[in-house]
Amino acid sequence: MKARILAIAVAGILLAASGCGQDGSNGGLLNLMNARGLSEADVSAALKTYTPTGGRDDYLLFASGGHSGQVMVIGVPSMRILKVIGVFTPEPWQGYGYGDQTNALLSSGDRGDTELRWADTHHPALSETKGDYDGEYLFINDKANARVAVISLKDFVTQQIVTSRLIESDHGATFVTPNTEYVVEPSQYPAPLGGGYAPIEQFNEKYRGAVIFWKFDREKGRIVEAQSWAMELPPYMQDLTDAGKLASDGWVFINSFNTERAWGGTLEGNPPMESGASQNDMDYMHIINWRSAEKVVAAGKTERIAGMRVIRLQTAIDEGLLYFVPEPKSPHGVDVTPDGKEMVVSGKLDTHATVYSWAKVKALIDAGKFVGKDPYGVPILSFEDSIRGQAEIGLGPLHTQYDNKGFAYTSVFLESKVAKWRLSDLQVIEKIPVHYNVGHLVAAEGDTVSPDGGYVVAMNKWAIDRFNNVGPLLPQNFQLIDTSGEAMQLLYDMPIPIGEPHYAQMIKADKLKSIEVYTPIGIDPLTHKVAKNAVQAGQERIERRADGVHVYMTAVRSHFTPDIVRVKEGEHVHLHLTNVEQAKDATHGFAIGSKNINVSIEPGEHADLHFIAGKPGVYPLYCTEFCSALHLEMAGYLLVEPR
Amino acid sequence: MRRGWARAGALGMALLAAAAPPLRAGSAAPDSAAPESAAPQCLAVPAGDALRQLVAAAEPGSAFCLADGVHEGPLHIAAALSLRGGAAAVVRSAGAGSTIEVNADGVRLSGFSVDGSGARFDRLDAALRIRGDDVRVENLRIRGALFGILAEQCRGLQLLGNSVRGNPQKVLGLRGDGIRLWEVRGARVENNRLEDSRDLVVWYSPGNVFAGNQVRRGRYGTHFMYSHGNRVEANRYVDNVVGIFSMYSRGLQIRGNLIARSHGAAGVGIGAKESGGLAIVENWLLDNTVGIYLDNSPFDPARPNRIARNLLRFGESGVVFHGPSAGNRFFGNRFSDLHLSVSVEGRGTARDAEWRGNDFDDYAGYDFDGDGIGDVPYVLRTLEADLAARAPALRFFRGTPALALAEWIGRVAPIFQPSTLLEDPAPAMRLAPPPVPGTPDAG
Repeated sequence: MKARILAIAVAGILLAASGCGQDGSNGGLLNLMNARGLSEADVSAALKTYTPTGGRDDYLLFASGGHSGQVMVIGVPSMRILKVIGVFTPEPWQGYGYGDQTNALLSSGDRGDTELRWADTHHPALSETKGDYDGEYLFINDKANARVAVISLKDFVTQQIVTSRLIESDHGATFVTPNTEYVVEPSQYPAPLGGGYAPIEQFNEKYRGAVIFWKFDREKGRIVEAQSWAMELPPYMQDLTDAGKLASDGWVFINSFNTERAWGGTLEGNPPMESGASQNDMDYMHIINWRSAEKVVAAGKTERIAGMRVIRLQTAIDEGLLYFVPEPKSPHGVDVTPDGKEMVVSGKLDTHATVYSWAKVKALIDAGKFVGKDPYGVPILSFEDSIRGQAEIGLGPLHTQYDNKGFAYTSVFLESKVAKWRLSDLQVIEKIPVHYNVGHLVAAEGDTVSPDGGYVVAMNKWAIDRFNNVGPLLPQNFQLIDTSGEAMQLLYDMPIPIGEPHYAQMIKADKLKSIEVYTPIGIDPLTHKVAKNAVQAGQERIERRADGVHVYMTAVRSHFTPDIVRVKEGEHVHLHLTNVEQAKDATHGFAIGSKNINVSIEPGEHADLHFIAGKPGVYPLYCTEFCSALHLEMAGYLLVEPR
Repeated sequence: MRRGWARAGALGMALLAAAAPPLRAGSAAPDSAAPESAAPQCLAVPAGDALRQLVAAAEPGSAFCLADGVHEGPLHIAAALSLRGGAAAVVRSAGAGSTIEVNADGVRLSGFSVDGSGARFDRLDAALRIRGDDVRVENLRIRGALFGILAEQCRGLQLLGNSVRGNPQKVLGLRGDGIRLWEVRGARVENNRLEDSRDLVVWYSPGNVFAGNQVRRGRYGTHFMYSHGNRVEANRYVDNVVGIFSMYSRGLQIRGNLIARSHGAAGVGIGAKESGGLAIVENWLLDNTVGIYLDNSPFDPARPNRIARNLLRFGESGVVFHGPSAGNRFFGNRFSDLHLSVSVEGRGTARDAEWRGNDFDDYAGYDFDGDGIGDVPYVLRTLEADLAARAPALRFFRGTPALALAEWIGRVAPIFQPSTLLEDPAPAMRLAPPPVPGTPDAG
C-alpha cells in the first residue's frame, strides 16, 4: 500500500514539476522526459544514482578485474570507477610493474622459471574482524596460476603476492576466516600435488586437490608463508568457499563439482569434460574443521610438499577434520548466513537454493552418523538430515548474499534474474530481470555478520544489446538494484570493459581510512616505511659507485632535480626518485622515451628503478602527469655518451 | 471469449481434467500394446529370493517370467536377458542402491512393477539404471524410488508405456528424476507416464523421440541440455513448473503437445535459453504463467526459431522475450485471453521478430475483403506495460477497470507515446484451433 501511495505521490510531484518553474527554454521535467523517452521509474533511478560534483558515494565496491589481473574500485550508487588497482598485471599509469620495487613484487609471484604477467582474478575478500569488514586489507586470487595477493587499503596498493607449487590452480579463493586469521585458497583442477607428471589415466590415484590456509599477520600486513599450511583433498574440483562465523566459527565450507572424476578426452573416445563432470545428481560440500586442523599441524602430523606443510587426506579423515555432505550438482556459492547458523548452496543446474542447518550438520558429525564414505574414505553425511529446506528460486540459482531484514538475494543464471527470498520461510518474494547471464551478485556488506541492505549489484556476464556497439568484444554489465523498497528497482547499467569481474564485495565507505599523501616524504608503498634511498629536497646528487651510477632525484612542481643525467654507454643506472610534495593529488610521472621507463610517484612516494644505458644518444625525460601550468616544462635529458 | 474460442478452451480444459487414456503418438507406431509375451523358453520364477540369483547366473538369451508376488532385489543384469511379469510381480528394493541395474546389451524388461530404491542422491539410487545398447523397457510400474529410470550412454533404447510415480509428500527438490537420459542417442521414449517425480532430463543426448508421454506435477516436464535434434510430439505436460525447456540445444521439434498449468517459481510452458533451430508447432499452451519464454534464442542468427500455429491461451504472458527477439518467426499463432500477449524484459521490443498471420484477440481491425487477413496491421502498443514500467505499483491494478480505462484513454488521446512492441502486417481474423494434442493427426 505504501508503495502505491508513493507512486502516486511521485507522479504528483512530476506533474507539479512540469507545471511550474519552467523557464520556457527547456520545457521542464516532463518535456525532458519525453525528449529522452524516460519514464517516472527512470527519473527516480536517476535521482537515486546521480551524484553531483564533489559528492561522495555511500559504498565502495571492490570488484575483481577478471583476466585483466587487477581490481576495480567502484562507487555505489554512482557506479563511477574510482580506481583500478594493479595486482598481478603491470599497470602503467601507476607505474606498477615498472620500477624496481613493483617489478620485484610481480616477480615474487612467478612460478618456477616462468615470468607471469597476467592473471585471472576472481574473488576479492576484504579483511574481517569478528566477521565484519574492517576496511584494512583486501585479498584476491589468481585462478590461472594459483596465487593470492594482499592489497593494503591504507593506500590501495598491492603489498604481496604468494603462490605455492602445491597446487596448479585455484578458484574458491580468496575467503577469510572471521578475524582474518587465514586467507583460504582451495585448488580447482586436480593435479599431482607439488607439481610433476602423472598420466591422466591415474587421475583417481595420483591427482589431488588441496586447500591452503595462508596465515595472515595483520601487524605486518603480510601473509607469513612459513606459518601457512594445507590439507590434501580428493581429486574433485573444489569450488567456492566460505568461512563459518559466529555459530559455525572454526569451520570452512567448500563446494565441489566433478565428483565423477571425469577428465575429458574427447578425441580419445571419452565424453567431454562438462558432460562427464555433470553426470551425478549431487556433488559434495567439504566441511573442514580448521581450528582442529591448526592443532594437528602444530602437532607435526603433516608432510612437507613443495615447501608447504600438508595434512594428508588420511590424516584429515583420521583426525576428524574433513566431512562431506551431498549438494545439488555443479554448485556455485556456499554462502553462510549472517548469523552463521546456515549455509545456502545453489546448483547452477538446479532450481532450488538448499539451506543447510549448521546445527544439524554438527550434530551428525558429533554423533558420527554417516550414510557412507567417498572412495577415499571421507565420511558422508545424509543430505536430507543436514538441510532445513529448499527455496524454490528458479532456473539456475548461483550465488546468494543477504540484507539486514532477513532476506536473501540469489543470482539466477539461467533465468537472468535476481531473486529476493525470505530466509525464515524460504519463500521467494520477487524476481527482477537482469541483462544477461548474471554470475555473482553482491549486496551491501552482504556476506558479513551484519549486512546493510539497500543495494545489490548483479554482475552480468553478457551485455548483448545493452550498450552502443563497440565491436564483437562486449563489456560486462553491472546492474545496480535498489533493494530498500518493497519492490526491487533496477537503477543503473554500468559497462565493465576491462576484464570479467567474477565477484565483488561492497563496503561502507566510511570504514575506509585511506591516507591522502605519503608522509613523511620518501615512503616505499610496499613497506610503508621511508625507503633506504629516499631523497630529501636539497640532497639530490649523482654518485658513481662500483655497481654503476646512482642518481638521487626529486620531483616537485615543476622540475626534476637533477634534470640532466650524464652517463656512459653501457653503464648501469640506478635512479632513486622521490616526490617531495605533500600536496594532495600532486602526483608526478617519470618517463624516459625509448627505454621502457615509466614510474608514477604520488606525493611523498619514493621509487627506485634500474636500467642499463645502452646505445649512446640523447633521451628526453619528462613528467607524464599534467601536474601544473609548467608541466610540459618539467623535463630534462638523459645523455648517454659514447665510450 | 470470441470467435469460437469458447469451444477450443472448453475442450482444452476438458483434456486437462480427464484422466486421459494413454496417448498415441502421431509419428511413431504404437507397438507397446503388443509385448513380446509369446517368446518361448520362459522360466517361471516364484516370488521370493530366487530371481536375484537366477539373474546373476543367467546365460545370455535367458528369459524369466516373474510370478506374482514380491521378488527381492537388487538385480544386476549383466547379460542379454528378458524379464517379464504382470503388474502384481514386484521387484523390491533392498533399501539401498539401485534396484535393477542393467549392464548389458539387448535386455528386455516388461510388465512387472519395481518398488523403491535407495535414497542417496549422490549415488543416483534408482529403480532402474541402464547402461547398454538396444535395451527395451516396457509397461513397468515404478513407484517409491528416488530416481525412476536412468539411462546412460545407451543406443537404441526403448522406454515404452512405463509409469513412474514419485513421492508427492516430498518437496520437488527432494525428489529424483522420473526419467533421465545422459549421453543417449536414438532412443524412443513413448507413452510413459510420470507423476510426482522431479524432472524428465535429457542431457547430451541427441536424436531421440519423446512421444505420447504424460508428465504431471513435476518440475521440468522435459529438460534438454546440449541435446540437439530431439523430437517432442504429442505429449501432455500438466501441472509442472516448466513444460519443456531447451538449453543450448539446436533443432528440437516440439509439436502437438499439450502444456498446461505450468506455474510456480519459473512457470513456463516452453522455454529456450540460447537455443536455435527450434520448431514449436501446433502446441496447446494453456494457463501457463508464461506460455513461451525465449532467452537469447536463437543463439545463432543462422538458426531461426519457427513458432507456428500454437494456441496460447490464459496466463500472464503468451510470449516473453528476455533479450533480443530477432530470428524468431511467429506464424499463425493464436493469442487469446492472456494478460499480455507478448512482453519484453528490459525495455526492448519484439519488433525484430517476424510476425505474420497471427490471431490476437485484441485486434481491433477489420477485413472488408473477407480474405481472413486483417486489412490493417496489428500493432501491439502496451501502454499498460509502459505505465507499469513507470510505476511498478500499478501492476496491482492489472485487470481492473481503472487501468483498462487509462489504457483506452491512452490510445484515444495519448498522454505518453506508447512504445510499439510488435507489428503483425497481416494478422489473421479467425483461425481454426490446431489439432487437439495427442490425436493421430497431430504433427
